[in-house]
Amino acid sequence: MSSALNLSHEPVTKIASGKLTMWAFLASELMFFSGFFGAFIVLRNSNYEVFKAGSEQLSWVLALVNTFILIGSSLTMALAIYHLERQNTKLFRAFMGLSILGGFGFLIVKYFEYSAKYHHHLFPGQEEHTIFFSFYFLMTGFHAMHVIGGMIPMAYMLFRSYGKGGYPYPVKVETLGLYWHFVDLMWIFIFPALYLIFP
Amino acid sequence: MSHDHGNVLPSYLKVFFTLMALTLLTVAAAKLVHFPDVAFIPGYVINIAVGLAIAVVKVTAVMYIFMHLKFDNPMLRFFVYVPVFLFVVLSFALNILEKWTYHH
Repeated sequence: MSSALNLSHEPVTKIASGKLTMWAFLASELMFFSGFFGAFIVLRNSNYEVFKAGSEQLSWVLALVNTFILIGSSLTMALAIYHLERQNTKLFRAFMGLSILGGFGFLIVKYFEYSAKYHHHLFPGQEEHTIFFSFYFLMTGFHAMHVIGGMIPMAYMLFRSYGKGGYPYPVKVETLGLYWHFVDLMWIFIFPALYLIFP
Repeated sequence: MSHDHGNVLPSYLKVFFTLMALTLLTVAAAKLVHFPDVAFIPGYVINIAVGLAIAVVKVTAVMYIFMHLKFDNPMLRFFVYVPVFLFVVLSFALNILEKWTYHH
């Protein structure tokens, strides 16, 4: 008799249950960010001048650097999964480490960006561009929290991989990878929406 | 668990360089090019449409290759299609309602 209680895979779809759950979570995340984008589009159209003036205060160069960092971090994450599935623990560690570094790099650039905005009194509650900067801080702030939220389990997996036999659960890394790519994906929309589309 | 779709490394690198190039293209299209008005469509709308189109291409590449939608069970794609559809409906509905409410 074969074991009746193997719950790691759903029998019909053959999708690992953790992965399926992550996709459901990402679908809800997509709707979460959709709310911001929907409101952003409407208020932008009715307060075009305010949004344009606000956007001109942002540094698109820093955002461009951050885009490169996140895309690179997405690639190293994909490579980390690739090497873990082939039991190449050393390369897994290297690429996972690079992905975490990418997260740190992103947050450091973000820190400089935020502190510049603070010094110039560009934040909600001030007299000028308030509505634009509400969106700016909400959208980039939630995004930055997602970056931090991804780095914590990534650091844990890297730490665990130094134990005997390396990190034993490739599917978990793959599932976390989905989340990490999603963070990159959200940034791909936030970057043009906030920094670029006000000609 | 481990699903081999041949060697995926070349496609990872291809996606990576495509994303980098398209990012530069978005910036160039937004900062250097000011599209002229075409018929009843104002130029700035074309600028936005171009930026959005590039972003959609980039996101599709990330989802299909990095997130394995291309290789995994096609059922997973509905987790993307449905929210995206709802988002498009939401944006249009909000915009139209806003216009009806305040501009008529």
